[in-house]
Amino acid sequence: MALIMLVLMITLLLLGFPMMIPLIVAAIVGFYMSFDGFGQMNTLIQQLLGGIRPAALIAVPMFILAADIMTRGHSAQRLINMVMAFIGHIRGGLAVSTAASCTLFGAVSGSTQATVVAIGSPLRPRMLKAGYKDPFTLALIINSSDIAFLIPPSIGMILYGVISGTSIGELFIAGIGPGLLILLLFSIYCVIYATIKGVPTEPKATWKEKLIALKEALWPLGFPAIIVGGIYGGVFSPTEAAAACVLYAIILEFIVFRTLKLIDLYKIAKSTGLVTAVVFILVAVGNGFSWIISFAQIPQAVIGSLGIHEAGYAGVLIAIAVAFFIACMFVDPIVVILVLTPIFAPAVASAGIDPVLVGVIITLMVAIGSATPPFGCDIFTAIAIFKRPYWEVIRGTPPFVIILVFAAALIMMFPQIALFLRDMAYS
Amino acid sequence: PGDEATGESGSNWRYAHEEFEGDVQDVFAHKFKEYIEQNSNHTLQIFRFGELGESDDIMEQTQQGILEFVNQSPGFTGSLIPEAQIFFIPYLLPAEEEYIVDFFKTSVAINEMFPELYAEQGLELLSMYPEGEMVVTADEPVRSPQDFRGKNIRIMTNPLLSETYRAFGATPTPLPWGEVYGALQTNIIQGQENPIFWIQSGGLYEVSPNLIFTGHGWFTTAMMANQDFYQSLPPEDQQLIQDAADYAFNYITDYIPGLGDRMLEKILDSSDEVTVTRLTEEERQPFMDSATQVENRFIDMTGERGKLLLEQFKADLEAVVGD
Amino acid sequence: MSHDDIPSGYRSGLPGILGIVDYGISRVESVILAAGVLLMAINTIANVVGRFVFGESLFFAEEVNRILIIMITFAGIGYAARHGRHIRMSAFYDALPTNPRRILMIFIATFTSLIMFVLCYFSVGYISSTYHTGRVLPTMGIPIYFIYLWVPVGFAVTGIQYALTAIKNLRSKEAYLSTHVIDKYKDPEIEL
Ligand code: NA
Ligand code: NA
Repeated sequence: MALIMLVLMITLLLLGFPMMIPLIVAAIVGFYMSFDGFGQMNTLIQQLLGGIRPAALIAVPMFILAADIMTRGHSAQRLINMVMAFIGHIRGGLAVSTAASCTLFGAVSGSTQATVVAIGSPLRPRMLKAGYKDPFTLALIINSSDIAFLIPPSIGMILYGVISGTSIGELFIAGIGPGLLILLLFSIYCVIYATIKGVPTEPKATWKEKLIALKEALWPLGFPAIIVGGIYGGVFSPTEAAAACVLYAIILEFIVFRTLKLIDLYKIAKSTGLVTAVVFILVAVGNGFSWIISFAQIPQAVIGSLGIHEAGYAGVLIAIAVAFFIACMFVDPIVVILVLTPIFAPAVASAGIDPVLVGVIITLMVAIGSATPPFGCDIFTAIAIFKRPYWEVIRGTPPFVIILVFAAALIMMFPQIALFLRDMAYS
Repeated sequence: PGDEATGESGSNWRYAHEEFEGDVQDVFAHKFKEYIEQNSNHTLQIFRFGELGESDDIMEQTQQGILEFVNQSPGFTGSLIPEAQIFFIPYLLPAEEEYIVDFFKTSVAINEMFPELYAEQGLELLSMYPEGEMVVTADEPVRSPQDFRGKNIRIMTNPLLSETYRAFGATPTPLPWGEVYGALQTNIIQGQENPIFWIQSGGLYEVSPNLIFTGHGWFTTAMMANQDFYQSLPPEDQQLIQDAADYAFNYITDYIPGLGDRMLEKILDSSDEVTVTRLTEEERQPFMDSATQVENRFIDMTGERGKLLLEQFKADLEAVVGD
Repeated sequence: MSHDDIPSGYRSGLPGILGIVDYGISRVESVILAAGVLLMAINTIANVVGRFVFGESLFFAEEVNRILIIMITFAGIGYAARHGRHIRMSAFYDALPTNPRRILMIFIATFTSLIMFVLCYFSVGYISSTYHTGRVLPTMGIPIYFIYLWVPVGFAVTGIQYALTAIKNLRSKEAYLSTHVIDKYKDPEIEL
């Protein structure tokens, strides 16, 4: 059954069907085979709707709306001008700032999709203008948004912590080191890329110019203040921060700067609705697909047949990494963590691996898998927002995946990258 | 529904619950499985939290006949059976462990009235059992409704639960489960309520270290079968299922007393910040007085049937605790 | 970002009375989409303001958003189909010359349309089962089946759009993504 579903899915995908079709057809076939007919299709619909039920998803359309208002108005441009005044003369500086902004925003907002929209949409045109190629730009945005999985607060780590009985506080601290390591590696790649491709730098801004840019950006600096200060400072939950950003963006662009009119708000809301719908229908069908995979106990069957219990310390770690990576390429990360974590738990215990380290590796793999074709919510979001073909959105991905896999290998070989901060805090 | 033959005359049955590996519902499910598989040719497949969707999803799947058995806490069943929310009324169950098991064994409301309510929804109620005392955690110890003032206490989205915490003097704040840890850490909310094993496994004590035993309720849950499935079985299989449910219930009622203490010990071992506050009889009184307000809300929501159920609950409590 | 270039004066690609109906549906979709997003923003903002100013969250906020997200998604998929905006992996498809591409698009649109109608049928079944169990939203007490009514409508409208796309491709020389969108990506927008 799993094989039929996989072949069908990939065929329809390659033929160029709308992305919801391969997933939904594979799911329908899975239901048909599991229940000998179409008698239980109610549950497929139930699970489609279940996919778009979580309250936390609301942050996505809200951040899209805020970002769209900022981008069509002046706020986004003023913020970018300020950043450029300070780093425009450094080679690769814009790319590095983009990566850092995505990581920070993603970490705080807890939504990688919202990050692609909120940071990607104002910064991508600027990077293209500066001379970066589009596939590089898109892959940079998607992949650095996904670092956010590792940096607290992280839903994936909370889930893993509860299922495996591992301290969530320790997991959170342990994620920071690897998260920063990956950001550093991405930044190095950015500088190398900019140097090789000869991306031009801008002339160094004078202090006066910097001051003017800073002054221009004073109002829009409220956005990072709301998001970072608001969430880490305990004023807002991520969804609330998103709503506060919408309100602030409306006040700035419609009242303070007066760049937009009321009719624009209607158009912006419509385009936000469109982007939300094309991404969420994929979240929905992805959930239906995940359900039948889980119901048929396919992961258990596949992993059970491999005999990883005798694989030893390194063997178990590698098996976990590979399993989560492959699963996250196709299935929603939350479902992957729920289903696979208990399956591997006995092997982790018998090999004597620190469950915090396992949590970090799993979260990292989830991040990689989510940014890796064929299926990835952030890829879909980028396609929907930037209206670029699928191929172009994923073409720049390989170097980033190589860096991420390299980072995963480093963390497995030198667990102290993850555990150092934890050991300091909890000794 | 969904029977695949496994060996001579054995079927494969599916059972879903709402918790993670090793939690109380999971222990119950595995005891049920153990009895079924040792005493028949049938096999039982267990699905844990999230594997087949959320709590409402697995309930619907059982009503559809995809699953044979489901474990859902009455609190979640409120959208289907409003009367099931009675377990949210504070101080309706005995606070002491010594009485709680007797209460579940002898209560007329639980053993006679509830099965009828579930049957209306096509469900055969097999067992209702307590999982653990509800414990409040907060940013500082709380001993009175005054101490609760101005505190946002996270609850599951439920009108009766909101009423309870409003009556307690706090500000009830509904929040999805995934946001609770982060919200406690950043002080968006100043507290939450859960049974102690959840506070331990979710690490909530790390970010909300003051444990308050208010004695206001037990986290209760219910296990049931799809009724069409159950009634289509031969009498010996129906008996097998009843016996397996009793076997699991008896195991759990031995397991629960002391579980809270074991979990509390674990928590105290791993954190120096944790404080434990147990309300005395006098300290409980103002909280108990506020229960009337919640009872009235419950009767508003459920009408005459709810009122009868509430009276029976009180009679059952009286019978167990006596005077 | 997406300076959304969906023309505000959308003209249906259909003749006569069908065209008028189609135009009407497209207007309704746009209004639902925009209103859904704005209501969600108002609801979520009101919830934040409520918590800060009155110290109390809105109890129905979560459930209202749950209703709106279904509305936005299922009004949006029809709208997206109409404007050729559904996400697809088109690498191999793009490499084909125009005529085979047009024929492949006829196949894709027909099959997609069929699946949408199948899902429409399944979702009617699901709604009728939630109608019979009488499940309600816990706080607001609204029957669940009521908030799902968008679902079959959204699938049906999407199915119709893909069926029309198949017909459009049958009758024209170019390959069409939807009844009025020719299959071409524009160059990256570098303006701003
Ligand atoms: Na994060
Ligand atoms: Na993926």
